[in-house]
Amino acid sequence: MSAGTARVIASKDGAAVAQTALEVRDVSLVFNTAEGKRPILDRISFDVFDGEILCLVGPSGCGKTTILRLLAGLLQPSGGEVLFEKSRVTGPSRERAIVFQDYTNALLPWRTVAGNVALSLEARHIPKDQHPGITAELLTKMGLQHAAQQYPNQLSGGMQQRVQIARCLAQQPKILLMDEPFGALDAMTRQALQDELLQLAAEQRMTVVFITHDLEEAIYLGDRVFVLASNPGRVVEKIDVDLPRPRSQLETREDRRFLAHRHHLFGLLQGH
Amino acid sequence: MRRLLRASVFPVLVILLWEITSRTGLLQFEYLSRPSDILLAGYSALRDGSILLATWQTFEAALFGLLLAVLVGILTGTMLGLSATTEKVVGPTIEALRPIPAVAFIPLSLLLFGFGLPMEGMVVAYACVWPILIATIGAVRGIEPRLLEVARALELPFAARLWKIILPAALSRINVGIRVAVGFALVVAVTVEIIVNPRGLGYSLILAQQSLRVDLMYAQLLWLCIVGYAINAALRTVKMAQPAIHVGGRL
Amino acid sequence: MKRQALLLNLSALLFAICLLAIWQVLSDLHVISPVFFPPPTRALSELVSRLSDGTAYLSIQSTCLRMLFGWLCASFMGVVLGAAIGSSRVARDYLEPTLEFVRPLPASAIIPVAILFFGLTNQMSIAVIAFGAVWPVLLSSVYGFSSIQGRLQEVSAVLGLSRAEFLRKIAIPSATPDILSGVRVSLAISLILAVVTEMQASLPGIGRDIFMAQRSFRSADLYAGLILLGFIGFSINYALVAFEKRALRWRNPYS
Repeated sequence: MSAGTARVIASKDGAAVAQTALEVRDVSLVFNTAEGKRPILDRISFDVFDGEILCLVGPSGCGKTTILRLLAGLLQPSGGEVLFEKSRVTGPSRERAIVFQDYTNALLPWRTVAGNVALSLEARHIPKDQHPGITAELLTKMGLQHAAQQYPNQLSGGMQQRVQIARCLAQQPKILLMDEPFGALDAMTRQALQDELLQLAAEQRMTVVFITHDLEEAIYLGDRVFVLASNPGRVVEKIDVDLPRPRSQLETREDRRFLAHRHHLFGLLQGH
Repeated sequence: MRRLLRASVFPVLVILLWEITSRTGLLQFEYLSRPSDILLAGYSALRDGSILLATWQTFEAALFGLLLAVLVGILTGTMLGLSATTEKVVGPTIEALRPIPAVAFIPLSLLLFGFGLPMEGMVVAYACVWPILIATIGAVRGIEPRLLEVARALELPFAARLWKIILPAALSRINVGIRVAVGFALVVAVTVEIIVNPRGLGYSLILAQQSLRVDLMYAQLLWLCIVGYAINAALRTVKMAQPAIHVGGRL
Repeated sequence: MKRQALLLNLSALLFAICLLAIWQVLSDLHVISPVFFPPPTRALSELVSRLSDGTAYLSIQSTCLRMLFGWLCASFMGVVLGAAIGSSRVARDYLEPTLEFVRPLPASAIIPVAILFFGLTNQMSIAVIAFGAVWPVLLSSVYGFSSIQGRLQEVSAVLGLSRAEFLRKIAIPSATPDILSGVRVSLAISLILAVVTEMQASLPGIGRDIFMAQRSFRSADLYAGLILLGFIGFSINYALVAFEKRALRWRNPYS
């Protein structure tokens, strides 16, 4: 498959057969609070297809982060189940890497950039002599080769987030879960990182679930976009983004279809 | 309530185990009394007032030293805090004196004052002056310049400025130093009493040990824990009440 | 700017010298009793002679060895216990109140108990030192291990690190700044308790020297001992601060 075509469906015998990486079946989540039970998510079901970029958009508090944490296995549902490669998700796993929004807290401040990336290699029990080579490759891919010996607190927000992504890639995950990863960054850095992510995903044919409250970002990045509503959290619309790849900040964002999706999603989000 | 229960599980278990093994003869240490004996000894010491007298003597010395330390510490600290140059000139001498442990001055104090209250109070004062001094310097230096400007703009006379703005502003930081000093005061007082001074709780500990009244000795240790804990609790309540005093003051 | 700093440093030195000079004069003129306040020159010459004929070294060595040994025992126990208690919310709930109750007990109060068990020996001294020095390390270790960034625990879970790997790669480095500050306070307490136990049990060391000097009214010796103690206290603190700065280099990579 070339990087330019739509990536969602691998058609085998004429019928559209998509390999599912993750399946969410009737998942509900209820929190027990002092005031009683609070429903956070209400019977959500969807599939995440192999190799796709799926974006979840919604207002604050609609449960997008909760869904991501359920996919990661950091949370267990009160009802329903999450399936990864057909088996039930009972806890976190290296194969489902999660990129957190608060990148500073997710990095080890006492290790250099290279050291942070090496943490994943150590977790995979890769022999130490192979670390420098693999780390160097990943850092170059993320544009961090000159910062290898620096400490996280010497880096800008964008660089720190790149380090976190590099560390996640070093896990060799099957799925990349991203929780508003670019939310705390300025617009220019955000756009740069968006494009870097697209390139990475194309090269590695990664499955990505991307959470954002920025609907333009969701349309720009995604193959599909799900719109979520809150109280309780649920999926109200699933949209196929039929924009060609590779995407470009300038051209794609001016494309008629982009604007149509944007219009449509804007209306949906306003209503909730 | 549940927290209280959980907190008592460990000590209650230890005490029960201790009592049982002592009584059944499983654990026989010559110098380890039974909890029941310790409690009895403690009760009688309270009844006959010996432990209370000793406590008062220790408090006396601690207060003596604290008051002296507060006086010297705040005065010197204010002077050094107001003038950065003075602080830089006098500072190194202070830094040279500070690492000397207060207890090292016990013999000197003994030489100068002989046995009794003043000797102990002076050692306590030496130990307590440092946290107060340092806190005062920091407090005076750190008074928000904006506050001082406001005071001047309101054309308050100096005394009023001092009382209504400078002192309250510096007070909370100085208090931190004083609280640390209070912690030191008790510890140093007891230490001096254990080593040389024939008064106070420390001395009664040594007496109990030397006359092999082991259960009384442990009872006194328990009492010391209670006293220390009570003082800390009192300090914490004062700390929480403080903001109210702060805000309550009006210009 | 640099000239100003130099000038201030010189003035500081001058100030200290002036104070000593005033003391010297007052003592020589017997305005203050030279018995209680010997001229600084005498204290210094006493110190120098004891250093040059080697008698001071024995005392310094005794005090320092006991202090270091007690401190190392206390630090080890404190970190291990602190790690165990700090990592477990249950352990903390059950044990922290008891710790808070025993903490205010002055370490020197343990001396009578220690004398009963060990007599007037080095073991007694080390036991007291260890008891007193363990608290700062223990409490700061409990704090350090209980306040590990939650996000890092999630990262560890996702990466599939074992409990031992988490401890080694994340918990301990994360708690190290707190542990080190506790260890520093511990060493100061160890010095104090070493001196205290020497005075109490007449064990060889600087504390005993000072005590003996007082008994025989050799005040110059007394002050010499104080100077020595001040020097030791200053050096160990300096050394530890320097070590801390290097170990925690990642906090201030620009300085």
